[in-house]
This record gives sequence, C-alpha cells and structure tokens, in this order.
Amino acid sequence: MISRPLAAAIVPALLAGCVQVSAPEKPIEINLNINIRQEVIVRLQEDVRDLIQENPGVF
Amino acid sequence: MSRKMKLMIAAGIAVATVVGGNGAAFAMLQAPTAESLRATGEVGEDASGYMALVGSGSAELRRQVDAVNIQRRAKYTELASARGVKIEEVAAAAACQIIRGLRQGQYYRLPGGAWQQRGAQPPQLPSYCG
Repeated sequence: MISRPLAAAIVPALLAGCVQVSAPEKPIEINLNINIRQEVIVRLQEDVRDLIQENPGVF
Repeated sequence: MSRKMKLMIAAGIAVATVVGGNGAAFAMLQAPTAESLRATGEVGEDASGYMALVGSGSAELRRQVDAVNIQRRAKYTELASARGVKIEEVAAAAACQIIRGLRQGQYYRLPGGAWQQRGAQPPQLPSYCG
C-alpha cells in the first residue's frame, strides 16, 4: 500500500514526465521530415530524369 | 445510272467509312501531349509535379490536363513503390526536372507562388531541387 505522501510525490512527477517528453518531440519530428524529404528528392533526380525521357507525351 | 457508276459510289462510301472510322480511333489515341498543352499558353507546370490551368480554361482543356496528370500519377506511383518513397516526393523530384526543361514563355508555379513565365534566364527552382 502506497502512503499518501508518497502518492502525492509520484503523481506530479509522472505528469511532469509526460509533459517533458511530448514537448520537445514535436519540433524535432518536423525538422526530420524536412531533411528526409530534401535528401529523397535529390536522390530521385536520376530516376525521374529517366522516367521523363521514357514518357515524352506525358511530360 | 450505269452499273459501273453505282459500283464506284459504293466503293467510295466504303472507303469513306473505313477512313472516317480510323480517323476517330486515331483522334482517341492521339491525346494532346504535355508539350502541346504547354504550348497553348493556358497550361503551366506546378511544383507539385502536375500540370494545371493558368487561367480558367475550357472544359475540354481541363479534361486534357486531367488526362495527362492521371498518367503522371500512375508513373509517379510506380517509381515511388519501386524506391520505397512517397508519391509526393517522386512528383516533387519530377517537377524539378520538368521546370528546368521549360522553354521560354512557358508557365510554371513554385510552392506558394503565383504563375510566372520562363524568361531568357533559366527558370527559378523550388529550394529542395538541390
């Protein structure tokens, strides 16, 4: 059985933990998406050049 | 009317029917190319990798633009699944090449921008084109 003072100490600690984890996660995720996207687009250039040459009517 | 003349008329009708039929089939196969649509000056290239109407455009022109875009989407989808990337990423990568290859006077639109015509200088490219 958890004593009342101990529970009072754990609950705010848990809540604080949740807030601390979710707050910095958001901006980091956005930055990663932008980086991946640019890198992928640059990497795709050669494939896309071939795709355009093989389909002259569509491009 | 002589028998010979009747035969000639019949032959003429037969030829016209065959040619006319072929003409219709040919027109269906000969959908306008992306280049011919751009040459109208009413269709431009968007940074999304698809064509779009610069102005309001006719219903027929819209249909032709849609037809090209449907084919593009199919090609982008194939390449995206082959490379394990998003369709939008393939489309954006294609836009870099498409806009780069535009001729002077043709229209293009960068992300969040308005339509602009390619001048004598090389066209501006979206920042992610690298």
